[in-house]
Amino acid sequence: MSNRALINAVFVNSARSATVLCGFVLAFLIGVIVWNGMNAMNIQFLLSASRNFGASGGILYQIIGSLLLVIMASILVLPVAVGTALFKSEYITSPTLFRISNTLIYSLNGIPSVTFGIFGLIFFVNILGTGISWFVGSIILAIMMLPTIVLTTYQSINSIPSAYREAAYALGLTKWQVIWRVLLPQGIHGAITGLLIALARAIGETAPIMFIATAFSGINLPGALNDPVVTLPTHILALAQQATNPDALQNAWGASLVLLTLVFIFSISAMFSRMHLKEISRR
Amino acid sequence: MRKYQRSRHAALFSLALIGTLLTMIAGCSRSESENVTVSGSSTVLPVISRAAEEYSQNNPGVRVIVNAGGSGVGITQLGEGQTDIGMISRDISASEQAKFPNAGFTTHVIGRDAVVPVVSSEIYDAGVSALTIDQIAAIYRGQITNWQEVGGPDAEILVIDKEASRGTRQVFMAVVLGDENAEAPGAKLVLGSNNEEQTALTQSNAAIGMLSQAWLNDDVKGLAIITADGSTIEPDLASIRAGEYPIARDLLLVSRSDLSEPSKAFIEFVLSAEGQQLVENAGYIKVTP
Amino acid sequence: MNLPRLYIAGSAAFAAVMVILVFMVLMMSSWGAISSEGLALFTHKWHPAGGEFGVLPMIFGSAAVTIISLAIATPLGLLAAIFTSELLNPAWRAPVKSALEILAGIPSIIYGLIGVAFFSIWIGNLFDLQSGRTILTAGILLAVMILPTIITLCDDALHNVPQKYRESATGLGLYKYEVVRDVLLPIAKTDITGAILLALGRALGETMAVMLVIGSIDRVPDPFFNVLEAGQSITSKLGREIAESSFGSVHFSALIFMSLILVAITVSLTSFTQYYFRREKRLVE
Repeated sequence: MSNRALINAVFVNSARSATVLCGFVLAFLIGVIVWNGMNAMNIQFLLSASRNFGASGGILYQIIGSLLLVIMASILVLPVAVGTALFKSEYITSPTLFRISNTLIYSLNGIPSVTFGIFGLIFFVNILGTGISWFVGSIILAIMMLPTIVLTTYQSINSIPSAYREAAYALGLTKWQVIWRVLLPQGIHGAITGLLIALARAIGETAPIMFIATAFSGINLPGALNDPVVTLPTHILALAQQATNPDALQNAWGASLVLLTLVFIFSISAMFSRMHLKEISRR
Repeated sequence: MRKYQRSRHAALFSLALIGTLLTMIAGCSRSESENVTVSGSSTVLPVISRAAEEYSQNNPGVRVIVNAGGSGVGITQLGEGQTDIGMISRDISASEQAKFPNAGFTTHVIGRDAVVPVVSSEIYDAGVSALTIDQIAAIYRGQITNWQEVGGPDAEILVIDKEASRGTRQVFMAVVLGDENAEAPGAKLVLGSNNEEQTALTQSNAAIGMLSQAWLNDDVKGLAIITADGSTIEPDLASIRAGEYPIARDLLLVSRSDLSEPSKAFIEFVLSAEGQQLVENAGYIKVTP
Repeated sequence: MNLPRLYIAGSAAFAAVMVILVFMVLMMSSWGAISSEGLALFTHKWHPAGGEFGVLPMIFGSAAVTIISLAIATPLGLLAAIFTSELLNPAWRAPVKSALEILAGIPSIIYGLIGVAFFSIWIGNLFDLQSGRTILTAGILLAVMILPTIITLCDDALHNVPQKYRESATGLGLYKYEVVRDVLLPIAKTDITGAILLALGRALGETMAVMLVIGSIDRVPDPFFNVLEAGQSITSKLGREIAESSFGSVHFSALIFMSLILVAITVSLTSFTQYYFRREKRLVE
C-alpha cells in the first residue's frame, strides 16, 4: 500500500472511530437517563406530591410548575417577538438601525443563562420588590426565549417573495392588511417553530429561575402571581446534591427522565413544524 | 392554504384560552390562603420542612413555603424582606445586625445540635475515632496532610470545607480555628448543604468534613473530641444534652419586628409539644421538656 | 392613532429596552465593587468576610474548563462531522443530524446529575484521586455537552461546500483524506471557526453542570496546570454565592462584576460569530 493510501486509511478509520466514540457517549447519556429513570417511573410517581425532601413521593407539582412557567413565558413573549420580527422585516429601512437591532438580538442570545437569573434577582426581586415569584421567572424565561422566536419569525416572513407584497399593494391593500393577510399566516408558523425550539430550551433551564422563582417545598400550585413555584430542574438540583441517598437519587433520575421527555416533545414538534415551514415556503 | 390558517387560528385561540385560565386561577385563589415563607439553613430544614407539612394539613388556609440555601441566605432574605422567617444554625452576627438595623431581628430557639467533625468510614474503622481540637485545626490549616500523622492509615487527607455563609461552618470554625470566618488553607473541596457534604464524604475513603450530628450514619462517622485532660467526649445526644460536646449550637428561627399573625402561629407550632417531637424525630435535642 | 403600527413599533422598542436594561442593571450593580476595590479585584484571594474580593481564581477556572472542553470536543467533533458529511451513506445523514440536534437539547442540570453520579467517580478512580470533583471533570462534562453542537454545525459547514469541488478533486485522483484536507477544510474554515466560537460561548456560560462537579474552591491550583484539583468557575461561583450576599454590598457587587466580565466575553463572541461567520442566516442556539 502506498504512503498516501495508508494515510487515507488511517484518516478514514479515525473519523469512523471518532463517530463511534461520540455515538457511544451520547447513547450512554440517553441510556443512563432512560434506564435509571424507568426504575423510578410509575403512575404513583407521576401523580403524587413529593415528600421527605423529594426522597419519597412523586413529582406531580414539579411537572405542573415547570409547564406553568414556560406556558406563561410563551404567552408573554409571543406577541412581542412577532411584533419585533415584523418591525425588523417591514419597517426598518435604515441599514444602521437594522444592524443595531441584529446586534441587540444576538447579544441577548449570547448572555449566559445564570446572568438572566441575576438580572431578575436585582431588577425584579430587589429593585421592584416582587419577592420570589413564579411570574418573575416567566418574565425572565420570556426574555431568554425572545431572540430565537424573533429570528425564526423574521426568517419566515422574510422568505416570502417580495412579489407577493407588491401584488398585494397593487390590489390596494393597506400595509396592515398586507401584514395581516399575507405575512402573518407565514410568520405565525415561523413563530411557532421558534417557540417550540425556545420551549425545549426554557423548560430545562435551572440557573435563571433558581434565585427568583422557585421554592424547595411547602407549595403545590402557586395561588397568586407573586408565589414561588416548584419545578423539575430545581427539584433535580436539590436531589443531585444527595447523590448517595439511593431513594433521592432514584427520584432524581425519574424527574430527569420526565424533564427529558418534555424537552424531546418540544424539540421533535419543532422539527416537524420546521419541515412544514419549508414546505410552505417552497410553494 | 386553508388548512394552515385553521391550525394558526387554533393555536392562537388555545394560547389565549390558557392565558385567560391562568389569570383567572391566579386572581381567584389569591385571597383564600395566607403564605408563610421560611428560608435558610439546611440543618434546620428537615425540622421545618416536616413541621410545614403537618401545619399546612392542620391549617388548610395557611401555606408554609420552605427554601434552603444556608444560614447566611436566610438572614439576608429576612433582612431584605424576601422571606417571613429565617432559619439559622448559629447566632446572628454583629455585622448582620448592623446591615439591617431596622429589621428588629428576634430569635426563637427551637432545638439544639452539635457540629461534628466527621471522617469517611474507612478512616474511622482504621482507628481514627477521636482527635483533639488542635489536631483538627492543624488539618484545616494544612499543617497535617496525612492520616498517618494522627494515627491513621497512610493516606492523604481530603479536607472538605463548606461555603462561608453556612452556619455549620461558622460554628465549627469558631471553635476549631478561633474565628467564625477563618480561612482554611488546607481545604481541598468546598461544598454547600449537609446533604452535599455527606455525599462527598461517602464517595471518598480518606475525607474529613463537618456535619450536623443528625447527618451521621454508617458511611460518615462522627469523631469524638479529646479534651485537654485526656478524656474523650462522644458526639451523641447525651453529651450534647449535658453540654459537654464542645462544638454545640442552638437552632434558631428568626423573625422581623413586622411578624405576621400566621408566621407567629407557625413559630408557636414548632415550639409546641407536637413541633418539638418533630425536632426530636429529625435527630436534634428539643428545647421544651 | 394607528394601533397596529403602535403595536409593532412598541414591541420592537420593548424588546430593545429589555436588552439594554439587562446591561444597564449589570453595569450599575457592579460599579460598587469597581469603585471601592479597583484593581484589587484582579488578585487571587476571595475572602468576603475579610474584605478581599480577588476574582482571578474564578477567571482561571472558567478559562481552564473551557480550554479543556474545547481541546476534547473540537478534534472529536470535527472528525465525527467529516464522517457524517463525507463518509456516511447520505440516507443516514438526516436521522443522525436530527438525533444530534435533539441531544443538544438535554438540559444542563441533567448533565450535572450524570456528572455527580458517574463522571466524578470515574475520574476519581481513574487518576486515583481523593476526590473526583476537579477542573478536569468539569471540562470533560462540558466537552460532552458541546459535542452535539460542534458536530452538527461542522457537518453543516462541510456539507455546504458545493458538490463540484468534491467531484473535481476526486477526479484528479485525490484520496478522501486529501480532498478533505486540501479542498473542503479550507473552504469551510470560516464556518467551522464560527461553530467552535459558538461552542466556546456556550461552555463559558454553562452553570449547573459545572457547579455540581468542579469542587468550588476559590483557588488557582498549584502548579496552575494541575487540573486534577478542585477549582471554581465564574458561573459556579455565581450559582453558589449570589443568594447569600446581600443586595447592595461590595460582596454582591463583586459577584456581579464577575458576571459582567462573563457577559462581555460571551456576548462579543456570540455577536461576532453570528454576525460575521454566518453567511446564510441560520438559526443557532
